[in-house]
This record gives sequence, C-alpha cells and structure tokens, in this order.
Amino acid sequence: MYSYKTGIPQIDQVTGGFDAGTNLLLLAPSLSYAEQFAYALTKPMPGEYTIMLSTNERASEVIDQFKTVGADKHFVGVIDAITKSSTPSVSDTERFMFVTNPTDLTGIGIKFSHMVEMIFDGTFSGGVSGLFPPPIRFCVNSVSTLLMYRKLEVLYQFLHVMTAKLKKIEGFGIYILNSEAFDERTISLIKQLMTIVIEIKVERSDNYFRIMGVRGINADWHKFTINKGQVVLAL
Amino acid sequence: MISTGMYGIDDMLGGGIPKGSRVLYSLEPGVDGQLFMISTLYEALEKGKSCLVIIPHTTVDAFLSDIAQLRGKPLPSTEKKIVFLDSVDRERIQRRAGKGGAAEQDWKARIKKLCTDHNVEVIFGYFDMIYEDFGLEKGLSLLSRNCCPPESTIIIEHLNFEQDKLLDSFAVRKSFDLIIAIKSSFSPLPHFNYFTIVYTSWSTQLRRSVPFLVKNGRIVPYIPKIVVTGPPESGKSRFVANATELGMSVDRTGLGGDVTTVAMDFGWLHWQDFDITLYGTPGQPRFDPMLPVILHNAMGVVLLVDATNHEQLPRARHLFNTITKMHVPIVVAANKKDLPGLMSEEEIRNGIGITKDIPVFLISAQQKDDVRDVLESLVDSITRFIY
Repeated sequence: MYSYKTGIPQIDQVTGGFDAGTNLLLLAPSLSYAEQFAYALTKPMPGEYTIMLSTNERASEVIDQFKTVGADKHFVGVIDAITKSSTPSVSDTERFMFVTNPTDLTGIGIKFSHMVEMIFDGTFSGGVSGLFPPPIRFCVNSVSTLLMYRKLEVLYQFLHVMTAKLKKIEGFGIYILNSEAFDERTISLIKQLMTIVIEIKVERSDNYFRIMGVRGINADWHKFTINKGQVVLAL
Repeated sequence: MISTGMYGIDDMLGGGIPKGSRVLYSLEPGVDGQLFMISTLYEALEKGKSCLVIIPHTTVDAFLSDIAQLRGKPLPSTEKKIVFLDSVDRERIQRRAGKGGAAEQDWKARIKKLCTDHNVEVIFGYFDMIYEDFGLEKGLSLLSRNCCPPESTIIIEHLNFEQDKLLDSFAVRKSFDLIIAIKSSFSPLPHFNYFTIVYTSWSTQLRRSVPFLVKNGRIVPYIPKIVVTGPPESGKSRFVANATELGMSVDRTGLGGDVTTVAMDFGWLHWQDFDITLYGTPGQPRFDPMLPVILHNAMGVVLLVDATNHEQLPRARHLFNTITKMHVPIVVAANKKDLPGLMSEEEIRNGIGITKDIPVFLISAQQKDDVRDVLESLVDSITRFIY
C-alpha cells in the first residue's frame, strides 16, 4: 500500500508516511499557520498529483502558493469555487475547473470526479506522467467556508461521500476546519469522518500542533514554524 | 409527449414524457449526470416550449455559461421563451422573509406569477437548495401543482445523498411520474456511469439500467462489450461483420483453405441511440486460454451454435457452462437455419443444457435482420440487469 509522506521528518520516520485512504482533519484557529501547514501536507511529492478545492482563493492564487512551497504546478489541479461568481464565462481547463460558489456541491463532486478520471486515464495536464496507480492528495480549503453556505447535515453527507471516494482511490484527503468558528457538535460530527486529526493552537504568537489517531505517535503538542513550505519543528 | 432530448431514453419510455408529468433526475454525488436535465431543457426550448428554470444555487449568467460549456453550444435563441428564478432571487427572498413561512409564500407567489405571465409549459427545478431551505415535503410542494399550472410538465434534478431509500419512498408515494436515477458502478466494468429508469406512472415496465457516456455534449447510452462466442465454424465472424458498421477479424487460412479466427473479431455499431462494441472469440479449443481475457468485463454474451451440426453441441455446452458463471445476460443464436438438417429448438436446448429463461433464436447470420433481432433481445436483457 502506498504511503503519503508528510515532509515532517518526525512523523515520517515513525509512521513511514500516512496510509493510502487516510482522511485528515486540520483543526486550527484563525490567524494560525493552518493554511501553510495544509499546503505543506498537500504538496505533491514526485510522481504524485494534488487536487485542491478552494473556497477562499482563486485558482491562480492557489497555484502561486504551491509554487512557493516548491511544488510542480503541472501535477496540481484546482477546483475553484470563487472565480465564477465574478467571471461567469470562465471555462474549465484540464487543471482548473470552476463552480459558481461553494453551495454547488453537485458541481464540486462532478469536477472532482472529472479530475480524478483524467489523472487515472493519463490525460491530466497534457498527459504528465506520474506513478500508477496515481497517488492523489486532495485538500478542501476550507470546510469552514462550505459550512457557511450549506447546512451541517448536508455537508456531513457530502464529506461522507468525498472521504469514501478518497479511500476508494487510495488517496490522501486533508480538510481544514476553523476550530473557533463552530460548536462542539459540528466539530465532533466532522471528526467522525476522519482517520487522523491534527490540531493547531497559537500561544503567545507561537504555533503548536498535535496529532491524534496515529499509532506510535503521542498526542503531545509540538512547537513549529513554516519555512519555505516545510513544517519545521522547533526544538 | 415531451422529449427527454435523449432519443434512446425516449424509446424506452414509449416516446417521451407525457405532458403534465412530474419527473425526477436523481444524481448520485460525483456522477456526471447534469446533462440529463440540460438535454431535456434544450429539447423543450428547441420545440418552442415556454420554460421556467429555477436555479437557487447559481446565477443566470453562470448557469448559461455552464450549460453552454456542457452541451457544447449555447441555449437555443428563444429569449422570450425562458425565464429564471436564480440565487439572486433566493437571497432577496431570504432577506425579506427572515425566519418563518414567509419565504415559502414568496417562492410560491413568484413561481405562480412567472408561470402565468409567461404561459410556462415546462418547469425545470434544481431541488438541492430548495430541499435544504424548506425540507422535503414543503420543497416538493413548491415544485408541484400547488404552484405550477395544471398542464405544465415539471422536471426536477436532485443531488441525492439518501440514494435508493429516498427513491423507493417517492415511487411508493407516487410523488413523480418518472424517476430516473443516475449512478456509477465498479462492476462488471472497472468504473462506469449508468442510469436507471426506476419508476414510470404510465407503464408497468421493469426497472431498466443502461450505462452511458457523455460525448460531444450528449448523453450516449452504451454497451462497451458484448462478446460473441461459440464452437468453430458456427458463424461468429459473419455475425460480428453483419451486426456492426465497421467490423474486422483476425483470421488465418489453414492448409485446407478453410479460414478460422485466431485472435478475435471486433466491431462496433451505433444502434437505437446506443454505442455498442462487439468482440468475437476464436472457436477452436486450443484458444481457450484467451477466453477469460476476451470475456472479462463483458456486459452480455451471444452464444452462437451451428443448428445443423450435432457434433458441436458438447463444445457449445462447455462454452455455455463457462459463460453462465459470469452472471451476465446470455442469448443463444442457432445459426444456419436456411440449411438442411436443422435441429429443433428443443434439441438445441437439451444438447447444451440451456435453461428456459435464456432465449434461443433460430437465425441465419447472413441475414442482417436476424442478427439485429438477437442483439435487440440481448440489449433488452442488459438494460433490465441490476448492477
């Protein structure tokens, strides 16, 4: 079974990387390094592909972010739920697909399936070739925004479908959720769909994370910074 | 009748959707089924019907751009024949109504007014957001005769997370006149999309499921693999050649001048709006190791036998036993009916061990009509198969 490396030596050395089919919830407060942390986890390693569902940034901004963390943009696809509301005529390409807004779960599901199909049949991004079967990282940035547009029950069902699909295609899913914006019930419901939870907290301007759900790794808090797209543990 | 815009489906429905019906296109999440509703919308506009389109999840501009991209061409230029209620209207309604039943009343009033002002004949509603805003019963009531003109046809698309449970309850309660579920499956093919006609109020036909492709902005029902197998010289290559528009065979001429297939026959046809691909196997037992490869992922099998040759029956029985283990629809075609020494259907059934549920056709593979009859029967069985 394929293992997805996190780029965090302390995790990769203990676990050998996350198992294919893992769904990971990144639970973090506002103004933390959550997004950068997510980009570090989502960045495609050589031979891998990444699909980002962006409800906060335009596709071009997402690609810029990936470039800054050293990813090869040809292996990154974006489902953009922002641009079409201001530019309705924008058309899909192989790597950039658009839905009108984050309410359009039908469109999001279909665009995701399209992109996965293209990756599997070798037509994604002009036929760039990675590993086969293709390891796919998928990031939802963010579940918080989706929850602003759709009811929890509906979003739960939608994420249930998406996490199951990720398992089926042996991908790696990363889902960002603001830990301060939602009540206990919402968070625990979303957690039910996940295999692993990474929690981030900020104390006196320092960022800490802890991992829950990984055998061999305790749930202690680790101080970290982000440097050139890498999560670096402060010793 | 109103056409679905997909002629293969119209045929299965007995010509289309009767006027005044309520139709549901139920989409499994992630399945590329948006073209079903869009095909029906294009068809209605092309036929000059006046349409109301309710799109609470998007704006008119974005919707028009999306459907033009999906269909590969813009909506027919019948501006006066189409009116919308979109996400901007939804926001206005929500802002004005606050909490309580005012929003529902506002939706009803707007739908009624647009239907009256524009003599709307067909209403297209994307149900997903309406369901979320008002719940199932009230949401359905908005897209019913309570708001829409009695003679109008109502077409609804819904992203269905509840799957068969919801559809079965709709069928039992007769909430719709036609329910088409659009789904995906991983068996017998690695991955394919298919639609199922779950329920029709105007006929008692069984559920039908058909795989489909999205090709050039159209829904194309397709059967990616039908295999034709049988003993040597039973007429498989002739059958494939006569069934398809473009067929080929990998043959070899033996020392005695006889021609035998040494790899396979291959051909495809577009028939009754279906795209079908046929594969023929070699008949000689020495090629049996190839059979599992050719039969893999087949959606149906034609077993061809020479109806004048008793000696072929044991070989046909062996092949029949192999293909019955696949649990896919099978049709037996007893070829060479125009030659002397013809066995009866009874003799063929007994000789091969064919059960009563499998049809046996006496044919001449030289006759295209006979070949098409066999295919028609098999396609019919495939569409009734439950995936």
